[in-house]
Amino acid sequence: MLFRLENLSHQYSDGTLALDNVSLSFAKGERIAILGTNGSGKTTLLHHLNGILKPTAGKVYFEDKPLEYDSKSLLDLRRRVGFIFQDPNDQLFAPTVKQDVAFGPLNLGQPADQVKKLVDETLGLVGMAEYAEKPPHFLSLGQKKRVALAGVLAMQPEVLIMDEPTSNLDPRAASEILHLLLHLNTKYGLTLILATHDVDMVPLFAKKLFILSKGKLVTEGSPKELFSNADLIRDVNLRSPRITHLFEVLKKENNLPVDNQLPLTISEARKEILRLLNLEDAGKDRGEGESHERD
Amino acid sequence: MAHSELYAQIDRYAYINPFAKTSPVTKMLFALSALIISVSSPSPVVPIIVFAAATILLLRLAKIPVHFYLDMLAYPTVMLALSCIIIALFFGTGEPLTQIAFPWFTWTIFKSGIALSVATFLRVEGALSCLFFLVLTTSITDIFITLRRARVPKVLVEMALLIYRYIFVFIEVAEKMNTAQKLRLGHSGWMRRIRSLALLSGNLFIRTLEQGERTLTAMNARGYDGNIRVLEDQPPAKKTALAGIIIFDIVLVLAAYLTLNVGVL
Repeated sequence: MLFRLENLSHQYSDGTLALDNVSLSFAKGERIAILGTNGSGKTTLLHHLNGILKPTAGKVYFEDKPLEYDSKSLLDLRRRVGFIFQDPNDQLFAPTVKQDVAFGPLNLGQPADQVKKLVDETLGLVGMAEYAEKPPHFLSLGQKKRVALAGVLAMQPEVLIMDEPTSNLDPRAASEILHLLLHLNTKYGLTLILATHDVDMVPLFAKKLFILSKGKLVTEGSPKELFSNADLIRDVNLRSPRITHLFEVLKKENNLPVDNQLPLTISEARKEILRLLNLEDAGKDRGEGESHERD
Repeated sequence: MAHSELYAQIDRYAYINPFAKTSPVTKMLFALSALIISVSSPSPVVPIIVFAAATILLLRLAKIPVHFYLDMLAYPTVMLALSCIIIALFFGTGEPLTQIAFPWFTWTIFKSGIALSVATFLRVEGALSCLFFLVLTTSITDIFITLRRARVPKVLVEMALLIYRYIFVFIEVAEKMNTAQKLRLGHSGWMRRIRSLALLSGNLFIRTLEQGERTLTAMNARGYDGNIRVLEDQPPAKKTALAGIIIFDIVLVLAAYLTLNVGVL
């Protein structure tokens, strides 16, 4: 296992028990979403994965070795496990985009000419190459998020942790960030872990889901499994994706013979509708345009 | 123009003006040496030369719009003019220019006071034009890197760098809070305005502490070890440009000597 949390608890100095005996694990190359309401402990959990916070009880294992918190071990961990903060203003401190992206690689002791190349490449990857010389306060929020992403990607991490990567973004910017992340996962095998309460986005992104509520791990599984259990989702004050909810209502109220595995995304819903209309073949004829779906 | 826009506009020119790719060492040497000569010159002629030189460079070569330059100059010039009026009216010794008799005392305005006032005004305007040349042609990154190379203590340079970045964040926060207060009628009446301002300042102070905390966490997550490293790729200073600046400075010093006896009155 890449990461394993064992009976992890974290109590803040004001007495709040933000994480309560959480145990979970996941493997390399996975796409993980940690779902929960505001204040459910998502951010606290993420902060344990690259040593920003130290557990008050329990242990964090990275590649089956317990995390150590001396500065050398932390530097080593942080090189491999990148962290993107929810508010890019927390992260972008340098006077220009280029200097900000260069910060991480320079801290890793890479030579200047290599860092320059890396900065250009990474800014190109996130589509911000033309903004290299701009100060961050000239950028929109979506652009700032991309630069923050570039600043972490330039350290060439194996794992990327993101706190609410799509929050406050317009639909297009959110969708672009999401597709960029999926691309990084499929092309470079980057392990992705994100915390979110955007339930419509989760099925498009995550293969595996952990649901937190009041600091406790409530359940884990694939989005399909978890969102089929409507009662559970409601108990933790979340909701199903809109499209799933629609099919749930059609099934319950209108007794439509919807499959027990409710569709979570537009493309799944499309298949299900065609099936219900006995038009499955029609769908196949036109080919499935799955990859271009948006939430 | 709102203040935040003025700041942002200064920044924008610094990145796009025709001198943006000139060596920051050259620009800083020009601006700082001319500034020092201007403020220390006993003659009123030298600050005028400096002001003219910096202004021509800015308007002609750096292509800064005249109205923008005048806007920038206006703020400090008003403050300066007020101070200089005080100097003219209340400072000086020796030969009096005029005397106004009041029943209880005699108010004397001295020639040397007027001379000091005019000299101060010119020196400061000369210095301002140099500073504006620097901030309008040189990006803050370039200034920081040059200061660091010049062995200015690291802690000062790094603090300035962070302050610079977060000034813009907090101007934005302050403007938003200000608008929110206005919308809830926090500015109706003088007392209420003062109270709103106090609340805003207190709040902003706490915000800065929290922001500092979060920024440090984010920097730590990218391997910050107490040193802010920056990518240095400034163009080297051209020898001809440096020689030109030195010649200009020598001319200024000579002009100062030759015009020592040029008085204002």
